Amino acid sequence: MLRSLQLPRAATARSAFKQSSLPSVIAPRLRRSYATESEEKDLVIIGGGVAGYVAAIKAGQEGLKVTCIEKRGTLGGTCLNVGCIPSKALLNNSHLYHQILHDTKNRGIEVGDVKINLEQLMKSKDTAVSGLTKGVEFLFKKNNVEYIKGTASFAGEHEITVNLTEGGEKTVVGKNIIIATGSEATPFPGLEIDEKRIITSTGAIALTKVPESMVVIGGGIIGLEMGSVWSRLGSKVTVVEFLGQIGGPGMDAEVAKAAQKVLKKQGIDFKLSTKVMGGDASGEKVKLQVEAAKGGKEETLDADVVLVAIGRRPYTAGLGLENIGLETDDKGRLVIDSEYRTKIPHIRVIGDCTFGPMLAHKAEEEGVAVVEYIKKGYGHVNYGAIPSVMYTHPEVAWVGQNEQEVKASGVKYKVGNFPFTANSRAKTNLDTEGFVKIIADAETDRILGVHIIGASAGELIAEGTLAIEYGASSEDVGRTSHAHPTLSEAFKEAAMATYGKAIHF
Amino acid sequence: MFATKALRQASAGAERAPMIKFLGKRTIPSSIDHAPHAHPASPTHKLPEGFGSSSSSSTSFSSYRQTAQQHGPLGNSAGKSSGILGAQSGHSLGPVTPAKGEYFDRSELPERFRRVPMSAWEMEVIDSGGASLSD
Repeated sequence: MLRSLQLPRAATARSAFKQSSLPSVIAPRLRRSYATESEEKDLVIIGGGVAGYVAAIKAGQEGLKVTCIEKRGTLGGTCLNVGCIPSKALLNNSHLYHQILHDTKNRGIEVGDVKINLEQLMKSKDTAVSGLTKGVEFLFKKNNVEYIKGTASFAGEHEITVNLTEGGEKTVVGKNIIIATGSEATPFPGLEIDEKRIITSTGAIALTKVPESMVVIGGGIIGLEMGSVWSRLGSKVTVVEFLGQIGGPGMDAEVAKAAQKVLKKQGIDFKLSTKVMGGDASGEKVKLQVEAAKGGKEETLDADVVLVAIGRRPYTAGLGLENIGLETDDKGRLVIDSEYRTKIPHIRVIGDCTFGPMLAHKAEEEGVAVVEYIKKGYGHVNYGAIPSVMYTHPEVAWVGQNEQEVKASGVKYKVGNFPFTANSRAKTNLDTEGFVKIIADAETDRILGVHIIGASAGELIAEGTLAIEYGASSEDVGRTSHAHPTLSEAFKEAAMATYGKAIHF
Repeated sequence: MFATKALRQASAGAERAPMIKFLGKRTIPSSIDHAPHAHPASPTHKLPEGFGSSSSSSTSFSSYRQTAQQHGPLGNSAGKSSGILGAQSGHSLGPVTPAKGEYFDRSELPERFRRVPMSAWEMEVIDSGGASLSD
């Protein structure tokens, strides 16, 4: 769709200025330039996170003149800087440490004195982060993306004022504009985040010593991942969750129950159906008052560190949305249509600050799709096939509908289940916790949901996502050859169990 | 699915139709409906009232100009005479970039683009080398 690229408003406005006849007396002064003018771009992207930087690279590849504005100082947004990537570095290394401590003897490996060097652990995390963020900067150069470090706000429907990080101000003009400003951790009322004792996920990846005790408010993915890291490193971790199950929305109840059992075995305590009434950080320890969600006995929990992980909220502060009449919904999300357009059609929104799950890979998909809508008029994201992964050990991953959702929809369904205890590769790895669960339509056999708990579940779920994207039946997957011995055979066998019977269970 | 194909060949009566079908290379349809529809992940599954119908929600700049007003109507159909600001489309006026040696003066621009006047406080801060900042 090229029509929205053709007639920029600012271009006409300035051309109109050129047409006006200026008094001759000021003509000599016209030689003075204030160097604030900027070339008009086909696309200006506010936010260099996963949504924004992917859109910028895609736009560069499509031949658009593109500018990306980011205020953090490094590209990659929450995911690369303080989210997915650093947390995975810590999860991987803390798992190694935990395994060396507790799971070597029966494997025939004898180790001596094992110690944690937290400073080095953090350094290795930082190396991974800086390597990736610099990699994105390189990709910007490679794809002719202009990168402006600064804070953007709307001055008009096509004009964006950027407060440059290095000082000064610049006006950027775009025929199309994408808002991709992401999200921030939702604060807990009454608890002041200092990122030292009362922390969000950002503070949880940067603690300077292992706390003796940690309370995690919120038993969702972020809380359980960071709780796992510090539990493995030696903290006594207690997870307080308002709902009756861990894992947050979307996780299948059977899987959530299994995950809780395994994590409990690893030393994490759970207080489900429990609400936090308030906290006091004035003493040596942070004191949290909790009570049963439905009301009941009050209890005080002491902790050296409290991790607030109750979710994230869209981040659009300072964008000057009021200058262009854009509003957010009751949850702070910018309202868009199916082509990511706001009510001002050349301004589009993608990623965490609009509808859909706050997941980096969902934002990436949107980054590609939105540029395709701008350039070609057609894009594609299947919101029914976005996988979710929790990177604890074992990992938990799912895509499509869970059993409760299918049941509620009234569709007749069948379930196939295959445990990793019956999988040869899991046996050789001495890592047999978990199972693969496939839910299919009873009539058509079409796969409706895939739920995995087990080592490498995050990798295995790709097959489930592909199956759902293609509209595969469980028999289609069950009749496809899977290499032996691999964990993926458990996926095939679960599919076989869905339409018939598994061989090895 | 080759397995299915084999089964079908082996037993014409008991064949199974695979769910996965190869549809061919993806092509972009020649006509696409760009009318605003609710986003598939929208919790309400509907667009707010007035979405896509306000003057600022025209599908292109030229359609916006048909209804926009600035010192009178901007649209071509509304003002044909060449002396009116906005009577010609921006596109027809040529490139935005000033010709070599030609500059725009900030004072000719609307107020919001001009330099912010210096306050007495700011002058004092500069005069004192920043020492008065702490006051």
